[in-house]
Amino acid sequence: MHGEHGSWLSWLYEIKVGPHHLVPEWVPEAVPMSVLVILVLGVLVRLGMRRPQREPRGLQSVIEWVFVSLENTWRGVLGDDAPRFAPFLSSLFIYILLMNWLGLVPGFKSPTANLNTTVALALTVFAVVQYYGVRENGFVGYLKHFTGEIWWLAPLMFPIHVIGELARPLSLSLRLFGNVSGEDRIILVLVALGAILFHRGLGGAAEAVPYGLAAPMIALAMFTSLVQAYIFSMLAAVYLAGVAHESEEEHAASPVSA
Amino acid sequence: MLYLFGLVTATGFAVAVAAFAGALGQSKAIVAALEGTARQPEASGNMRTLLIIGLAFIESLTIYVLVIAFMLLPKLPDTPKILELLK
Repeated sequence: MHGEHGSWLSWLYEIKVGPHHLVPEWVPEAVPMSVLVILVLGVLVRLGMRRPQREPRGLQSVIEWVFVSLENTWRGVLGDDAPRFAPFLSSLFIYILLMNWLGLVPGFKSPTANLNTTVALALTVFAVVQYYGVRENGFVGYLKHFTGEIWWLAPLMFPIHVIGELARPLSLSLRLFGNVSGEDRIILVLVALGAILFHRGLGGAAEAVPYGLAAPMIALAMFTSLVQAYIFSMLAAVYLAGVAHESEEEHAASPVSA
Repeated sequence: MLYLFGLVTATGFAVAVAAFAGALGQSKAIVAALEGTARQPEASGNMRTLLIIGLAFIESLTIYVLVIAFMLLPKLPDTPKILELLK
């Protein structure tokens, strides 16, 4: 399916290496956009942590603040397991947050507004949770946690739990996709409305007025993007806490259902 | 014609009903969180986390309906076709 390429990265589709295009036509714009996010994150952290000081200043202190506050958040859910899963969960959070925010910059498109990206993220979380479930509890123990407490209800509980487990990546992906694509669509409609109402070819600074109509929605979208990234990574943390308990402590008993 | 009428009505009303039901459910969660915070301000951090998670669960149901509405939206015919059908 050929998507329209109309962003500030569409020049990537023109590059040819010999007879072939570097980036084929059918690659959706979400892919170069997420590569851009990864590059920006990598470059930022590299620059900040090039010569780590004992007393951090500048970019290093910002990076350390972000990492430490995220790890404290996971500590509230995972307890002592937090340092094990913090890299995965914090990466998930920062990556999803920046991808969501990228769509709010004029000329760029959120990779998470594409269902493929969110399904990929949800399947990754699903695979990680299942892997740790089998690794911590052994294969038999992992199957046992589907059966529930009462053993003679097991033939009933097993399908219910399996379906609930399968519904998790579905709900994760659809929630993130629906929220981000919905808010991007609202901003698009507002900008179009502003262009229709206010564009009189005045030139100069007055050209920016049509975009001003979307400014409150962009502010709201920044907040909801943050909340959705938090929700996604928090749910991943809750699912991980449900399967990978080394120390037998029951922290913050959040309902673990789809 | 009846089919198109049903399609348009369903697309419009689905989102409206989902928004209403979602708001009702979320308001209950927020009321509970506010009362808990008023009773014990020092536990508000924990409550805030649970509130946000609960709100996201409820909101995702509304978002599912929005996704279905978005899927139905291209199926609605545009004005020339409707005028032709009305003849």
